[in-house]
Amino acid sequence: MPVIEEGASRRRGARFRQGLLGLGVGLLGLFVADAVHLRNPPLAGESLGDVFVPDPAVAGLVSLGFGAVVSDFYWLQAIQAAGGDVRITPELGAHLGQLIDVVTTLNPWVDHPYRFAGIWLTQSEQNVRTANRLLRRGIEKHPDDWRNHYYLGFNHFFYLLENAEAAEVLEGASRLAGAPRYLPRLAARLKSESADLEVASVFLQELLRGAQGEAARESYRSALDEIEIEQRARQLDGARVRFRELEGRDIETVDELTRGATPLLGALPSPEPSSLPASLRRGSEWIVDPSDNRIVSTYYGKRYQLHVPASDRERAEGWAREKELREAAGR
Amino acid sequence: MTGSLHRIWPIATNTVREAVRHRLLYTLLFFAVTMIGFAVLIASLSYVEGERIIQDIGLASIRLFSVGIAIFVGIGLIHGEVDRRTIYTILAKPVTRAEFLLGKFFGLLLTVWLQLLLMGLAFVLVSLSVGAPLDWGYAAALFLVGIELMVIVAVATLFSSFSTPMLSAFFTLGIYALGHLSRNLYFLGQEAEVDSVRRAATLLYRVLPDLETFNVSIQAVHGLPIPASEVAWAVLYGLAYTTALLSLAIYIFHRRDLE
Repeated sequence: MPVIEEGASRRRGARFRQGLLGLGVGLLGLFVADAVHLRNPPLAGESLGDVFVPDPAVAGLVSLGFGAVVSDFYWLQAIQAAGGDVRITPELGAHLGQLIDVVTTLNPWVDHPYRFAGIWLTQSEQNVRTANRLLRRGIEKHPDDWRNHYYLGFNHFFYLLENAEAAEVLEGASRLAGAPRYLPRLAARLKSESADLEVASVFLQELLRGAQGEAARESYRSALDEIEIEQRARQLDGARVRFRELEGRDIETVDELTRGATPLLGALPSPEPSSLPASLRRGSEWIVDPSDNRIVSTYYGKRYQLHVPASDRERAEGWAREKELREAAGR
Repeated sequence: MTGSLHRIWPIATNTVREAVRHRLLYTLLFFAVTMIGFAVLIASLSYVEGERIIQDIGLASIRLFSVGIAIFVGIGLIHGEVDRRTIYTILAKPVTRAEFLLGKFFGLLLTVWLQLLLMGLAFVLVSLSVGAPLDWGYAAALFLVGIELMVIVAVATLFSSFSTPMLSAFFTLGIYALGHLSRNLYFLGQEAEVDSVRRAATLLYRVLPDLETFNVSIQAVHGLPIPASEVAWAVLYGLAYTTALLSLAIYIFHRRDLE
């Protein structure tokens, strides 16, 4: 009997040693794999090139009934690609467009990704056209949601200078439940005259109100701040014209508008955005820019050209010219 | 008929007992439930529509792991009986091969339905914990997953009636993939200019199971209407297809040389 017990005990001991050995080998393998893995950490810039974005039709075919979850995967990829401090280039915009195309093809009932495209695909005319195509798909699936119409209208107005199309889209949106009351007025204005600062301001305020994500909100706030300063600069322009009429000469400094026998202004408006916290105020002032003789706030150092920053305006006009050339070549 | 049922039932319950002793079943069930819970973490990567993502992942996990259980637990059931030679003991009793096969089928079906219930419960708990909406659409979606599983179990039973477990798994997975592709293949085929390709695509569409019939997950998650007639037709289709598959399986199993 003790011999049998001894044998059993030996076997148990052997099994225990084998188990320990197995565990040790397993842990060693894990350690080596981890060390090898950590030798080549992914670079921040690699993410764009590394994510393979399939053709939406092919993705639909191979998702084997798991379209919704594959769509979610690419949605998360899109968020990762656009998030953080990444600067959105036309290439990244195109990449995001491909991702959202897959997302909305595999699951066209998604809601926010359509507007995500509207927010982020703005770096080239092609980006904006892709965003508009996706927003139209969103409108097809969610015809009663005024927001997709709104973003589409904004893109036509702001980036493509297509006021007639913007008016048409916004007119449709204004009839939908929940749409802001000013939409019909906005659409009418877009139809009747070229869009101005007020129109841009109203658009941006609404976009800010509905924006999700701090980066998008910050972008809208910053555009609204520029518009506010431009409105004040235009007020000073008006006073300057009256000054010339009264004094028969131009101002040398902007302060002159508040001085003299008959001051045209009680005080100069603040040259800094009213939303700027006191801690960030830097004592900016109004000056007459010697390069173009226009009144500017030293806070921005330049004037806001119409309703969009000069660079955006030039870009939009450039796109429009390219489009005309393409159409001319096509004819 | 009643006699047959009396003979099928013990085989079915025995199959359930045998299946629930399968470690693979618990492994897959564990992964499925973990995945449903893990969905909360994945969804937190998105700043919007998190609840929808949780439910998308939850329903996808249920479908994926249920099919995994149906295939990998199901394929070995008949082969195991032949391998262990227990089939001879059973067939020596007044039990026909058809009754044996049907017993195995119903046993496996009960097992996968039971785990579907458990996964469904985990899905409901996770949905409730994150405040995601739950309505009858989800019940319809899970019910149709159950019908899809019935067809897959029938496919697994058919292949395991004449093939090795490895090949059965391979074939059943193939049918599962083709079943979800058959609609797309049909539409692609109809765009072909060659008439024979169009006819072949139509034939494939009619012969292969159209498993997308049972997939209403997107409608459920987005609160879209799922008409009762659509569910009824899907159930009828599933029952008819399963009957056809089991008839073929019984025919083949009858002719199989078990020596």
